[in-house]
Amino acid sequence: MSATAARAAAPARRGARFDPRGLVLPLLALIVWQLWALTLPHDSPAPSPARVIATFIELVRSGDLPSALAMSLGRVIAGFATGLATGVTVGVLMGAFRPVRRVLEPIIESFRPVAPMAILPIAILWFGTGTPAAVSIVGYAAFFPLLVNTVHGVSRVDRKLVQAARTMGVSRPRILAKVVLPAAMPSIMLGARLGMSVAWTAIIAAELAVGSKSGGGNSGGIGSMMFVFYAYSVDLNGIVVCMIVVGVVALLIDQLFRAAEARLLPWRQ
Amino acid sequence: MQAVENAKLRLKDVTKTFIAPRTLKPTVAVSDVTLDIMRGEFVCIVGPSGCGKSTVLNMIAGLEAPSDGTIFMDDRPISGPSAERGVMFQDYALFPWLTVQDNIGFGLRNGTPGHSLSAGEIKDRIEAHIDLVRLRGSEAKYPHQLSGGMRQRVALARLLANGPDVLLMDEPLGALDAQTRLILQSELLRIWGETSPTAQRKTAIFITHDIEEAVFLADRVVVMSRHPGRVRALLDIDLPRPRNEHVRTTQRFGELSEEIWQLIRDEALEAIA
Repeated sequence: MSATAARAAAPARRGARFDPRGLVLPLLALIVWQLWALTLPHDSPAPSPARVIATFIELVRSGDLPSALAMSLGRVIAGFATGLATGVTVGVLMGAFRPVRRVLEPIIESFRPVAPMAILPIAILWFGTGTPAAVSIVGYAAFFPLLVNTVHGVSRVDRKLVQAARTMGVSRPRILAKVVLPAAMPSIMLGARLGMSVAWTAIIAAELAVGSKSGGGNSGGIGSMMFVFYAYSVDLNGIVVCMIVVGVVALLIDQLFRAAEARLLPWRQ
Repeated sequence: MQAVENAKLRLKDVTKTFIAPRTLKPTVAVSDVTLDIMRGEFVCIVGPSGCGKSTVLNMIAGLEAPSDGTIFMDDRPISGPSAERGVMFQDYALFPWLTVQDNIGFGLRNGTPGHSLSAGEIKDRIEAHIDLVRLRGSEAKYPHQLSGGMRQRVALARLLANGPDVLLMDEPLGALDAQTRLILQSELLRIWGETSPTAQRKTAIFITHDIEEAVFLADRVVVMSRHPGRVRALLDIDLPRPRNEHVRTTQRFGELSEEIWQLIRDEALEAIA
């Protein structure tokens, strides 16, 4: 079972390698966009590649963008860590012990379709508009992919491996730690990657929404910065800068996780 | 079979009934198996697919409980798995996240076999078993980097490193090509202790569907039949030890193989029909 999964994953890994052909379309789009922008009157607020780059440099120089980015990343890391700890713990218990699964599954399955944004009102009422609300939403978002993939990984562990350990006189708790957990690791890593990507999506949305609630974006973070550009300065170039930064950061995080996976699971290659 | 004094394992009226998962009907997999296995004896179990060979082995291992009857080891009933009875599984069941040496050392580091050993002694034992199965140079590789024959040797080394009294092997050579099989059969006899006095040999139970493999390896062959799985015949293999490749060309080897084939022929044909 795991052998075929590993083989299926191999082409994807090869496909992740850099291919210059992938750059053709984005570059073409940039050129078309810039040419179109050149036809506009000089004082138009419409974004153009040149203005976006200028705004980007300005935002980096002033320190606004780096500090907003650091704020968002800090929240994501804190929220993700919470989701990781709870998701993996509950997931292992649910995957390994059927009664636990029976008891928890209905609650979890009924919360799972509730989008992170839908718990935002409660998070704000409980924690205010600052970091704790943002972290709790990120944790909530990251929790489900981690949980579901951990349960899947743990419950699909090859029975023969567990039996082999039992015939070597290995105790049940040790089998959980030394057989079940490592065998479920590829699934848990997948859950972590998915969890991180929804966590990053959730933080931007949460900051945007919290920004609108607090009426001035004093909550900080990239999402909040976008809200200010949108609601106060009406700076489309700034919004585009934020969008690109958010996308690039998401891409880098994913690459980081893939690299970590290759390091942590050398036996999968 | 009467109970003999130095029986290592005694199966007494062992029956195993399963509830079939789909139909929910009870199915008798193994029926009334009574068998004594001597200390230091190499026993092969042969029979058509579905005769309950693997179920018998799993019950001796303690991984499954008999529905009826009892299995004794050294006159004590078996109630669960123990490192005294090591198992080599059909598909090897190596831990894919561990290297060859860590697979071999898994039981020593995590199970009862290593409880009285220091870290240094465990290390020495792993090294000795890497050499025993001739895997020097591959000890840092992962199972997926190995050929079938090498994986099988890792599984054998892992089994032996734990120092079990009884070796339980479930078609361990089944997935290998013919040449590798022949080589590993001889190697298995060497490692089991064919050249040592009987008292120093392990007790081995080896499941196979290959009749000539059974004749080559065994002191005694248990022929099982199916529907339900029961012992059809017991044959003493009176070929001299140590055995080498020449034994396969002897007349006696052919006679014994033929005798076993006659016993399972009809059912084997039935099984493929």
